[in-house]
Amino acid sequence: MAMRQTPLTCSGHTRPVVDLAFSGITPYGYFLISACKDGKPMLRQGDTGDWIGTFLGHKGAVWGATLNTDATKAATAAADFTAKVWDAVSGDEVLTLAHKHIVKTVNFTQDSNCLLTAGNDKLLRIFDLSNPEAAPQEIAGHTSAIKKALWCNDDKQILSAADDKTIRLWDRSSMEVVKTLTFDTSVSSMEYVADGEILVITYGKTIAFYNALSLDLIKSVEAPATINSASLHPEKDFFVAGGEDFKLYKFDYSSMEELESYKGHFGPVHCVRFSPDGELYASGSEDGTLRLWQTAVGKTYGLWKCVLPEDLGAENSEQLYTPAPEIKA
Amino acid sequence: MATPVSVLRLPKGPDPNSRGFDPRSPRFIALCRTSICTSAASEADPEQLQREQHARSVLRESFLRCLLSMTDKKVQFHMHEKVKVAATFGASDIDVLNFQVSNLHTPIGVQKEALIRCQDVISFTFDA
Repeated sequence: MAMRQTPLTCSGHTRPVVDLAFSGITPYGYFLISACKDGKPMLRQGDTGDWIGTFLGHKGAVWGATLNTDATKAATAAADFTAKVWDAVSGDEVLTLAHKHIVKTVNFTQDSNCLLTAGNDKLLRIFDLSNPEAAPQEIAGHTSAIKKALWCNDDKQILSAADDKTIRLWDRSSMEVVKTLTFDTSVSSMEYVADGEILVITYGKTIAFYNALSLDLIKSVEAPATINSASLHPEKDFFVAGGEDFKLYKFDYSSMEELESYKGHFGPVHCVRFSPDGELYASGSEDGTLRLWQTAVGKTYGLWKCVLPEDLGAENSEQLYTPAPEIKA
Repeated sequence: MATPVSVLRLPKGPDPNSRGFDPRSPRFIALCRTSICTSAASEADPEQLQREQHARSVLRESFLRCLLSMTDKKVQFHMHEKVKVAATFGASDIDVLNFQVSNLHTPIGVQKEALIRCQDVISFTFDA
């Protein structure tokens, strides 16, 4: 019997959700942070979407947000020209790192000791969090605002994507550029998959997969609409993408075939990420919501419950919420 | 027609009265330090450690005396989200998680008795 995907809607933000990130798997489960133009990034339990807390302090739209692997620290990048580091357990602000322009992206090293930031001033900055008073190391080169910057190759290198239509690979010690990829159009998103050294890039309607060390193209595919973000499943059997037509697309990674598409958001999808266990993926949209989607539709996981036909009508069944079929506008 | 997948409930949304990070959650209790650790310099040097311990006890005593002297006085609380409220201070609980206050002046009226959550407070002032 075919099952229809029931996305779980996480409300709370009052403006578009522009970025989201999962933590690794911790003894308390895994967590999700969302960056929003309302300036109030939120932390949620990753498998249920339950709100845990809101990081209060930024004075402008938050463009980027990230968690460290064990979800004890969070970092955010905002339009108030600061990046902030937070205690993700208490919600307290730990550090404010001043910049000269809008900060768009933040990323922790695996040991959480260094924070990479970048934004509209076209510079990459590396902050030593054990010595925050010290001036950060700065890497120049991009000729336009940097959209995304990530540590890669065991934190020995840095990948950055900017509005100058390039993606650059930098060596951390020499601070020099190692390789540059040039595109005809701005790259809309970038995801780094450490296991297998794969880089997922989206631009226009294209979702492309590159070798993160050599920056050689592995394969690519065109989606039916302009794509803003894509994410590869940890086991590399699927990838998901979302963009300007409000839908989420699911593709098979080996064949690059489109498997399914899901409606649900009421605005363009800005970001999409698989959870660390691959059981679900989260999307953030212009409509101000986050939605959680099952990878295996119908499976019992998190808040989703597999109901077999013989269970329906059983006297001792738990209270279940079955959503009414959505009314199409 | 395909049956939609059932859910147990919807994800919990934000609490309108708090910034969250529940101090009673297992993760908070396990990971959040309730006091500031000894500094690294003091761990190395016993003399420094003694001076640090002395400073810590002076500060702690000073804070507790401050709470005592606040009893029945009008206190102004500066809280997150630009909230400024005034109230008559009653007492603190043992872990300094909540303050019991009376006549809490809020933009929507005066609350006769209230509990203020300490983790939502940034600072407070009063005339000694």
